[in-house]
Amino acid sequence: MATLSGLSRLTRLRPRPRFGTPRPASDSAALPGGRSMGLLYPDHIPTSPLQKMLLAAGAACMALYDPYRHDMVAVLGETTGHQALQALRDRMRRDPEGAQILQERPRIQLSTLNLNKLRTLPEGSFGREYVHFLDVNRVSPDTRAPTRFVDDEELAYVIQRYREVHDLLHTLLGMPTTILGEIVVKWFEAIQTGLPMCALGAAFGPLRLSAKKLKVLVSDLIPWAVQNGQNSRCVLNLYYEQRWEQPIRALREELGITPPPTVHTGLTKSLKL
Amino acid sequence: MAARSSRALWRLSGWGWSQALLCPRLCWGSARLLSTDKPGVATHFGFETVSEEEKGDKVYQVFESVAKKYDVMNDSMSLGIHRIWKDLLLEKMHPFPGTKLLDVAGGTGDIAFRFINYVKAQNQRQRQREVKSRQNLSWDEISKWYQNGQGPSEESHVVVCDINKEMLKVGKQKAKTLGHKKGLAWVVGDAEELPFDDDKFDIYTIAFGIRNVTHIDRALQEAYRVLKPGGRFLCLEFSQVNNPLISRLYDLYSFQVIPVMGEVIAGDWKSYQYLVESIRRFPPQEEFKEMIEDAGFQKVTYESLTTEFTWPATTSHWILAA
Repeated sequence: MATLSGLSRLTRLRPRPRFGTPRPASDSAALPGGRSMGLLYPDHIPTSPLQKMLLAAGAACMALYDPYRHDMVAVLGETTGHQALQALRDRMRRDPEGAQILQERPRIQLSTLNLNKLRTLPEGSFGREYVHFLDVNRVSPDTRAPTRFVDDEELAYVIQRYREVHDLLHTLLGMPTTILGEIVVKWFEAIQTGLPMCALGAAFGPLRLSAKKLKVLVSDLIPWAVQNGQNSRCVLNLYYEQRWEQPIRALREELGITPPPTVHTGLTKSLKL
Repeated sequence: MAARSSRALWRLSGWGWSQALLCPRLCWGSARLLSTDKPGVATHFGFETVSEEEKGDKVYQVFESVAKKYDVMNDSMSLGIHRIWKDLLLEKMHPFPGTKLLDVAGGTGDIAFRFINYVKAQNQRQRQREVKSRQNLSWDEISKWYQNGQGPSEESHVVVCDINKEMLKVGKQKAKTLGHKKGLAWVVGDAEELPFDDDKFDIYTIAFGIRNVTHIDRALQEAYRVLKPGGRFLCLEFSQVNNPLISRLYDLYSFQVIPVMGEVIAGDWKSYQYLVESIRRFPPQEEFKEMIEDAGFQKVTYESLTTEFTWPATTSHWILAA
């Protein structure tokens, strides 16, 4: 019976309402199944600690089993990232630009970006390079799923911002969207954000690589990514939307990102520096 | 046509896992109520409250979303036990060659395929018996017998009716894979307004579908209408759990584990949240029995299909409460 009461603690939903945050009107009656928490943001799905544990475990297994399930990687990030997100949010608050981002909550989506305008920017500017990256790798800024399992409205924004900044990191680091490129970016992000999902992706991603690529990764790319991750400013503290015209070299210097090591194997579609 | 004198057994789960209903239709007419669709009347969609018009659409979206992973999820959620329940339903049905079955909400075809296999097996047994009884035949008689022997199995027929086209698509694909071609029809239709004439079918089944219908009473009336006099109505459905300890474990499993499974396997949390909530909203055994009797059915009974696992040795035995 002791385990059963302990279990009931794990299955209860604990809301973390923020003072002053508007709570959307929704079904907040206490119902069996634990839907006693109101929704904190539009796509919010309140989950108990037990559900988070099960989700994290299931998502990790499914992501390893089927690497195309990007939604599982996202779920893993949301369910395991609470402490890291809190630390990130605090770092953002301490930085003036980061605090502005938290205040204004900008979003990087097709509806808010003007890609054609970015295309008209001069070569070598950050905005131009970003659009070039999107075109070459054939990705769109709208492929990020909304946050669902984070039980704090501000932290939900922080993780959403992290996801939307991911493509910008590819641009800044000069990494394509190949598996090798993704792993390098994951190492960088793991050092920068401390999110367990990044660390897991960084650790388990290389398992599926060939020996040749693995060698390149371990000898050149990972040390470079780690060094840059440690030395550079927190990447979430940049208001990228205000920096499209800035030359990318200047931006990299400001962040403290060094040019990537020149490797000739496995990096197709690599960007010019 | 006189009513069938066979006893009707309505199986239901005291454990809340599943319930199968079986009741014959007697030959006096049923009064069909005029359907009055009142706009703005509220009903339940799981634990949410929605209007009646909305519910149909929402349920459609749920099944459209889960159709491709429906079978995988059924196996995961019930640990494969749903197959046993469906097999038991067939055994209770005990169709004979020549039966016309209507399987409503039968989207992916589980009941229909089992029906076909059951009747085929029966045909084979019948033929083997015939062969044994006739050992000295002339070539003429043998060839005539083979020609006639094809006949009986063609008469059994199953119509799979479902409101959701995606589910039917999955079912048709399965039929192709399994090689079922004859004696099977796929029809899009609403359980509350079936596209069939009166008195057409011998057996009507609805397995784990009736709780998704907006107006259960209308579905029951339609069932009464399309069944021949003496036809049988069988329903397999989840129901209320009476044992308090089992109920807590069941709730824990339903609400903590199943939506997580839905998210991980099918990428869809909300549909599976709806599914477990809809089980809680379904009327209890006695109330449902009365609803069936109101539709005109006689000799309505229910039976539990209870599973009990004793840990650590996983031995399962069936408890049937009459």
